[in-house]
Amino acid sequence: MKSWLLATTTAVTLSIAGSGAAIAACSPDYSKVTLTVAAQTGPYIASALKMAGDEWTKKTCGKVNVVEFPWSELYPKIVTSLTSGEDAFDVVSFAPAWTPDFADSLSEMPAAMRQGADWDDIAPVYRERLMVWNGKTLSQSMDGDVHTYTYRIDLFEDPKEKDAFKAKYGYELAIPKTWKEYTDIAEFFTRPDKNLWGTAEAFRRGGQQFWFLFSHVAAYTNHPSNPGSMFFDPDTMAAQVNNPGWVRGLEEYIRVSKLAPPNALNFSFGEVNAAVAGGQVAESIGWGDTGVIAADPKQSKIAGKVGSAILPGSNELYNYKTKQWDKFAEVVYSPFMAFGGWQTAVPATSTKKDAAWNYIQFVTSPAVSGLAAITGGTGVNPYRASHTSNLALWSKLFTDREAKEYLGAQAASIAAKNVALDMRLPGYFSYTEVLEIELSKALAGQVTPKQALDTVATEWNRLTDEFGRDKQRVAYRAAMGLAAK
Amino acid sequence: MRNDPIKYFFIWPALLVVLGVSIFPLIYSLTTSFMSFRLVPPTPSRFVGIDNYTSLLQNPRFWNAIGTTSLIAFLSVALQYVIGFTMALALNARVPGEKLFRVGFLLPMLIAPVAVALIARQMFNPTMGPLNHLMTRLGFPNLPYLTETPWALGAIIAVEVWQWTPFVVLMLLAGLQTLPHDVYEAADIENATPWQQFWGITFPMMLPVSVAVVFVRIIESYKIIDTVFVMTGGGPGVSTETLTLFAYQEGFKKFNLGYTSALSFLFLIVITVIGVVYLAILKPYLEKYR
Repeated sequence: MKSWLLATTTAVTLSIAGSGAAIAACSPDYSKVTLTVAAQTGPYIASALKMAGDEWTKKTCGKVNVVEFPWSELYPKIVTSLTSGEDAFDVVSFAPAWTPDFADSLSEMPAAMRQGADWDDIAPVYRERLMVWNGKTLSQSMDGDVHTYTYRIDLFEDPKEKDAFKAKYGYELAIPKTWKEYTDIAEFFTRPDKNLWGTAEAFRRGGQQFWFLFSHVAAYTNHPSNPGSMFFDPDTMAAQVNNPGWVRGLEEYIRVSKLAPPNALNFSFGEVNAAVAGGQVAESIGWGDTGVIAADPKQSKIAGKVGSAILPGSNELYNYKTKQWDKFAEVVYSPFMAFGGWQTAVPATSTKKDAAWNYIQFVTSPAVSGLAAITGGTGVNPYRASHTSNLALWSKLFTDREAKEYLGAQAASIAAKNVALDMRLPGYFSYTEVLEIELSKALAGQVTPKQALDTVATEWNRLTDEFGRDKQRVAYRAAMGLAAK
Repeated sequence: MRNDPIKYFFIWPALLVVLGVSIFPLIYSLTTSFMSFRLVPPTPSRFVGIDNYTSLLQNPRFWNAIGTTSLIAFLSVALQYVIGFTMALALNARVPGEKLFRVGFLLPMLIAPVAVALIARQMFNPTMGPLNHLMTRLGFPNLPYLTETPWALGAIIAVEVWQWTPFVVLMLLAGLQTLPHDVYEAADIENATPWQQFWGITFPMMLPVSVAVVFVRIIESYKIIDTVFVMTGGGPGVSTETLTLFAYQEGFKKFNLGYTSALSFLFLIVITVIGVVYLAILKPYLEKYR
């Protein structure tokens, strides 16, 4: 009897202690919550959401169901659920360009999330611009996307190459400050007989080509005195896509295509990375993935020799107001926030908003997102100061020098004073489709750069009228962080 | 059989299901084609009559897509038929190793078109592709297979021929194996040459099968999208853009649903016209050899 009592007491005590431990483990307790998260088909982004979801489950006892859709299906799935008002998703992950179409159906981020060290750690270009729409913080960046420059250290520091370059161009072979220097370097290293070409960029229609053009164009059109005027006149919504700055950018982009491997007109970003990692090119531009892939000995022939820097700039920018080229004493850098990085948000229709925002906060916390950023295949690039300041975190991937340059390029780009934002506008695909077609024709030599861009401008103006010029102006100004008019 | 009206009562549910599944989407799509209906940016739908149709008929991109699709369809099917017939005749002649050839020839047809297109894209790669490696070894320059219009169209047609000739072989071989032997024996007695036997016996007797095979292949070729999407994305410009790829761009990138529905119906009309004309032209020959 005594032993039975002892056993019973022990069992009860353990059971109470156990339940106490379970309660303590669920902090906050979302044990009755299952979140449905919409994401594009993995591994990119979806794997980061799942990986964090597993950890969030351990912490809060809530469950996360990541529903994956192919890229082409993601937008219609989200937009139809939001506009119909159905409670299909608790969290949506999406491209920043879609924000204008989703904004009315998203809930605002809780004020508690918008303060503290973790909040301040997010780079201002995301925190104050890409996550904000019409003065409200409607989404949280879970990925950073900015174009940077990649080059081969071994070629750039070879004394013979340096001497030959200086003899030919009259200045030192170094990281290019301007796009002119970038094309000189590309020309210098174009040696088809040695299976080496100058550069690789995406030129394929439907293969992210227009973001690469934008990176060139930003240097000539993102005038510091006229913020937000790269794509449209923010006052009239007149398309700027055929102004002399754009024409110069496109001419340069076409010139670059001839200094790239022979098949480059069929390159999307994947092929750019393959060309860089395969040691086929001396330099390149693109997203942060290029540096990570090129530094990985399993995927790359140039591991240990991968340098990174901010995109080249220009000391001449076109002023659309005066219709003149303005000269600057120093090079103006306009790193381009291509795509802008995946956003996460909570639809207003979700009945589990608290849990959903808590999940987002967890996914994007410095520790969890930092791990995702250095995990291959997550598609997460740096967007927090802590992502680029923690060298130890990146030492698994890079040599010290590579890490310093890579993180320095990322940090300098997103912190640049004259950073250029990507276009975010309702009907985004309609605008970019005509651009892709005309770009493709110009690259193939079927039309001149000016003809191509004139056609694009005409179509952009027609689309703006069709969608409502005033409505589009309001959206464009909001996207560019300009005050409403 | 009892003429009990109750049987109609039991048939109705099945009929309604069939109508619902097959006819409703068509009617819905036809109705949408007369509307201005955009998901991006979300705009309320409104009736626009035949505006979508007139806009499409005035759009040079639509006519370009028809031209490109027709070129790919007719050229590739013609080549598939000629090569397919030749291969079917060879296999029917019971050459040594015929069974192995038969399996080998059928393999391309069994691979998913996306995979075929990806393989082709690599084959035609100017720097890493085996085709240009061979050209370089033979002293020729690297060719822009996928980035210049004539080469890109040629590459797409070549891939179509490679993948779908086996289907033609399969159907024609089945037809050849049903031809009566006594006709050939009679021709042999008359000292008819193989060439005369082919044009006088084989080809006319195979005409019904040939008409059906070519018809199926033309209809299928008009629907081409995956190969083009993967190999060229419709470029350079829109020079290799086919009708279905154009519809995909309008429907799934711009979400211009009214316009895309009108495009689908015009596509249906184009296919129907081609089918009717094709059968009308061949009808006298079919009746002659019946």
